[in-house]
Amino acid sequence: MPTPYIKLRLFNQSIALLLSRNVLWLLLALSLSILCLIVLSINTGSYQLSTLQVFNILFNQRSDLTSDNIVWLFRFPRTLCAALVGAMMALSGAALQNVTRNSLADPSLIGISQGAALAVVSSMMLFPDLDQSWRSMLAFCGSILVALLILVLSHSNKSSKPIRFILLGIGISAFLSAITTAFLTYGEIYRASAALAWLAGSIDAASWQDVRILSGSAVVLLPLLILGSRAMAALRFGEQSAICLGTRIDSTKYLLISCSVALAAIATSIVGPIGFIGLIAPHAARRLCRSSVAAHLMLSALLGALLVLAADLAGRSLIAPSQIPAGILTQIIGVPTFLYLLLKQKARSAM
Amino acid sequence: MNSSIESVNQPYTLSYSLAAIVSVSICSMLFMLHLSVGAKPLSYAVLYQALSSFDNSNFDHMIIHNIRLPRALIAIAVGASLSVAGAIMQGVTRNPLASPSVLGLLAGASFAVVIGLGLFDITSPLYTPWIAALGAGTAATLVIVIATAAPGGATTLNLTLSGAAVSALLAALIAVMQLANEDDFDDLREWLTGSLAGNSLQSFYYIAPVMLVALVTALLVSRKITVLSMGDEIAKGLGVKTLGLKIQLMLAVIVLTACSVAMAGPVGFVGLVVPHAVRFFVGADYRWVIPFSAIIGAGFLLAVDIVARTVINPQEISTGIITAIVGAPLFIYLVKVKLR
Repeated sequence: MPTPYIKLRLFNQSIALLLSRNVLWLLLALSLSILCLIVLSINTGSYQLSTLQVFNILFNQRSDLTSDNIVWLFRFPRTLCAALVGAMMALSGAALQNVTRNSLADPSLIGISQGAALAVVSSMMLFPDLDQSWRSMLAFCGSILVALLILVLSHSNKSSKPIRFILLGIGISAFLSAITTAFLTYGEIYRASAALAWLAGSIDAASWQDVRILSGSAVVLLPLLILGSRAMAALRFGEQSAICLGTRIDSTKYLLISCSVALAAIATSIVGPIGFIGLIAPHAARRLCRSSVAAHLMLSALLGALLVLAADLAGRSLIAPSQIPAGILTQIIGVPTFLYLLLKQKARSAM
Repeated sequence: MNSSIESVNQPYTLSYSLAAIVSVSICSMLFMLHLSVGAKPLSYAVLYQALSSFDNSNFDHMIIHNIRLPRALIAIAVGASLSVAGAIMQGVTRNPLASPSVLGLLAGASFAVVIGLGLFDITSPLYTPWIAALGAGTAATLVIVIATAAPGGATTLNLTLSGAAVSALLAALIAVMQLANEDDFDDLREWLTGSLAGNSLQSFYYIAPVMLVALVTALLVSRKITVLSMGDEIAKGLGVKTLGLKIQLMLAVIVLTACSVAMAGPVGFVGLVVPHAVRFFVGADYRWVIPFSAIIGAGFLLAVDIVARTVINPQEISTGIITAIVGAPLFIYLVKVKLR
């Protein structure tokens, strides 16, 4: 009998992964479906292109200018953006859930996305001349402030249940959204409409610049999370057990939370708040297959990419020529998932 | 037993009645202030003339009669209704966070109004309250059913979480409706942030009597709410038919919320803030909490609306935005302090 696990030891065992066969198959299947969805997404739209044409344009560049432009300037960056944003939001949610030991934690639910949104919208309204490249930075600052606020508020309570943190987040996000709405309703109308499109979580304006920012930050942050996966596995047992298992919990906790916040903030700064992916993807990954923390992170990332790709594709083909922003669709799928988690005993005790 | 309660309450009755008179007079001062401030400040003398001997060729009188008076009256009606609805909900569910906005009633009512307008083209103030009531009732039932089914039952936590989730879903669906036909919903954009502006007296006359009936009902059963707030078992032991009373109260809450939404859109957090402030002063006796909630709620929304209309003069902020900015910190405080 072959062993059901594949052991992967890297860098003098500072990263050790235990991958079961099932996980490997799942990773492969998910990557393949993402590839298919990317091709389908490039195909679909108001300008008809066949799959063959798309392959021609992508690989040998021998085609007419119109379809060339459509693929390279609009559909391809948009598709890549959707996939990257999905993966980043999913990773952010998964890390947050592991660190806070709370399976209902999601960056869009507890105000982290709203912090980014407020920072970006206020800068768009107050300093319209500011370059777009500052957005990611501002979004990160807004999000990290909110995350710190929630941590401070929920920490000082001795008997604090992990779940109280969600209620605090709901309050904070209501507060932040109100201020954002004030900016939107009463700022100058042409600036407000640009901000409004961004705020609905729409991917339609994605450019190669956005793809570069997203992939760059993903390349930096993903290894950090994988490095932290061992600490996250220990944290799952509770903080005291984690200390006993030799985890430096304060430093790892803050490192992981800042990674998670950074992922959510950068994704949000590019496409606006995409709700609930950080909740759906990690949960679905857990249901699909038992896996170690690192494998779970990878599965969540792929699932998140798949979900946002699908949401974006559905959003622009369901009621074409109008478009439903991907963020709204993920919210519509996400709420039932949240309620399902709420109804299950596990939501309270397991994490 | 009954007489001993009366005798204990006797000294309070006097001071509470005095407090009621004081708060009513503060309310009427706010009412006058509300009418006089704005893009064009008007003196109290003009105000008095406009109210006593209305002259429809006088431009200032027209401003008061057509724009400011409806708005002030609606602020009073909406503030009182939402506060009483919140007070009832907090008493019946024994849940410090219960209020029409937190438990999804506002979102449900707004969603129903949006559907009514988008699919069936209903805009008449005669029908919107009932459509809103249908939406608020459905959303409330959904939230309660989900929270009851969740492990631990209908606790503060479960109710709040399922309320937030249902509100998020309805908000997304409203956004879809808005995107699907943008032209029709342009007018609704401001209404959806909870705005008291742009209403006529006509819709007030249609909706206010229904509100009044619900308010009086709440006042009549307020003694039983006090008993209910001690817990179901104690209430039953004291001879209250809890199920019937709860249904009656829930209907009152739904009607109050729906009428407010039909008038002013979803004005959040009023029903959370005011009852807490009131209970801080008058304690847990709902015979006092309900009427004071109505008075203070009316005054609170008048004051908030004065701020909303003057803070970035000559533009106006939606009242709902200000109530959320005031109310959300209180929500956070309550989660931190009251929730064990």
